[in-house]
Amino acid sequence: MRVPIFKQGQYLIASIQDDLTDSDLSLLRDDLGVGVGQQRIRGVIIDVTVLDVMDSFAARTLRDLARILKLRGAETVIVGIQPEVAYSMVRLGLSLDGVETALDLEEGLALLDYQTKPGGRRGR
Amino acid sequence: MAENISSAQQRSWMNELGLSEQEIAQRKAFLNFSDDDAQRLQALHSLAQRYAEGVIDDFYQHLLSFEESRRFFTDPAVLNRVKAAQKQYFLQLTQGQYDTGYVEDRLRIGIAHERINLPFELYLGAYNFYLRAVLQRVVEEYKNTPEQVTTTFTSLLKLVFLDMSLAIETYLSQRERVIREQHEAIREISTPVLPLRERLLLMPIIGAMDPPRAQQLTTQLLHGIRAHRAKAVVMDITGVLTVDSAVANHLIQAVQSARLMGTTVIVSGLSPEVAHALVRIGIDLTMVTTVGTLQDGIEAAEQLLGYTVTKNGTCHTPSPEKGAS
Amino acid sequence: MADDTRVAIRSDTDIVIARQKGRALAAHLGFSSTDQTLIATAISEVARNILRYAKTGEIRFQTETNGKAAMTIVAHDEGPGIPDVAVALQNGYSTSGSLGMGLPGSKRIMDEFMIVSEVGKGTTVTMKKRRN
Repeated sequence: MRVPIFKQGQYLIASIQDDLTDSDLSLLRDDLGVGVGQQRIRGVIIDVTVLDVMDSFAARTLRDLARILKLRGAETVIVGIQPEVAYSMVRLGLSLDGVETALDLEEGLALLDYQTKPGGRRGR
Repeated sequence: MAENISSAQQRSWMNELGLSEQEIAQRKAFLNFSDDDAQRLQALHSLAQRYAEGVIDDFYQHLLSFEESRRFFTDPAVLNRVKAAQKQYFLQLTQGQYDTGYVEDRLRIGIAHERINLPFELYLGAYNFYLRAVLQRVVEEYKNTPEQVTTTFTSLLKLVFLDMSLAIETYLSQRERVIREQHEAIREISTPVLPLRERLLLMPIIGAMDPPRAQQLTTQLLHGIRAHRAKAVVMDITGVLTVDSAVANHLIQAVQSARLMGTTVIVSGLSPEVAHALVRIGIDLTMVTTVGTLQDGIEAAEQLLGYTVTKNGTCHTPSPEKGAS
Repeated sequence: MADDTRVAIRSDTDIVIARQKGRALAAHLGFSSTDQTLIATAISEVARNILRYAKTGEIRFQTETNGKAAMTIVAHDEGPGIPDVAVALQNGYSTSGSLGMGLPGSKRIMDEFMIVSEVGKGTTVTMKKRRN
């Protein structure tokens, strides 16, 4: 199942709708890579609110994705990690080092603005 | 793919009380309760039907002779209902089928009695009465074959002990449920999550921190973050009695979990001595923002959120004459 | 009561099915929401190991309701086996990108954890969690 990706200004928003299989996740990673390459995208938000499990494959794929996108000039923010999911990830020792996270879409967009727009972090 | 659980099973008392079919079989084996016993009891059924009414009447006469049990049966309609139910219960002892249906029934009745707060000894007392009443009549019935008295009565004893173990189970489980609920309530009360300002929470932790509490605490923190959309949390551990490596690890996990939700946790109340001790044994606190006092913690959080707190003049105490209510 | 439920692992969809079934079973046993997620995550890890290293296998669920409720997950495959279990349990999630086996993490969150593996024969991971 393909994850729908929306464009909002210079950002892409990937909104996960359902439990993802490994191939869905890999497909998302590829789709975003292509999307960022084709258009002048400064930031990507991946909304995982709906996910009730984030395991080592998901964590690794998201870390890889953030790295790839960074090389193409885009910042990545993961939003919507749920309480139980966050706790399980930490208990399992999974890390999202190198990937920014935010509470929800609103916070994610604010963070991207801060990171990418003049006057924000980049602007200094 | 086998479908998991039917809705009938979901309501089952055996499930509720954690009794599997295996467990029941084990109990029967322990009591040496076999199909022979079932047959012997079934042979008593027509006899039981004949004197059930009499036994039940005698039992309630006996029960009502005690003041403390009278108060449960002041309403005659209630008494009649209960007698009818008891007669059924009594007849069930000799109907010959002692499978999960029988067990479910016994559990259900036990729960019903526990719920009306019927004292346990009254409930068990009924069994004793039945045994005495039945023995009399079995001796009478099998007077020409006295060895049958022993074997039949032994079968009945086995079944009654099985029944009593189920009755004890129901009473115990209800007590345990109440204790669990109280524990849960205490845990929640003892770790409040307080909104201090918009997007800022305060979580004062008091007392000991064992693994279950740490998990409960972290869950409460994370749910609080979601509910209040907190960007910063001051977790004050001044009141935590012992901060050892286990507690430190729990705190680190709480901080890491919160970060995954985009929230910064500032841990206040960690004394420098304890911090040094933890670092010495190898706990990595570099990822955790720690400050000395609660005030420091709140100030740090406010700064993080972009608040500036200013003082404009001296403190005013309300004067008694003005606007007296 | 279903004392023994199985999920065959043949594709990555099965990983999702296995963890959803595990979660449902845990919920029925009365595990907290947090514990349900921990269990589902551990199932995801071992199911993926089956798929990656053995191509096929199965996840079996066993439940206990005597006194303290408990759930046992058995992940079994007839794949290549793990040459050095001790090492596999040491290597955590590799940050270099190569596939770590995800076992140490699962071991941490379950109450009991056991691996039996023989090169050329297969691997069986048995893990158990008790309800509080």
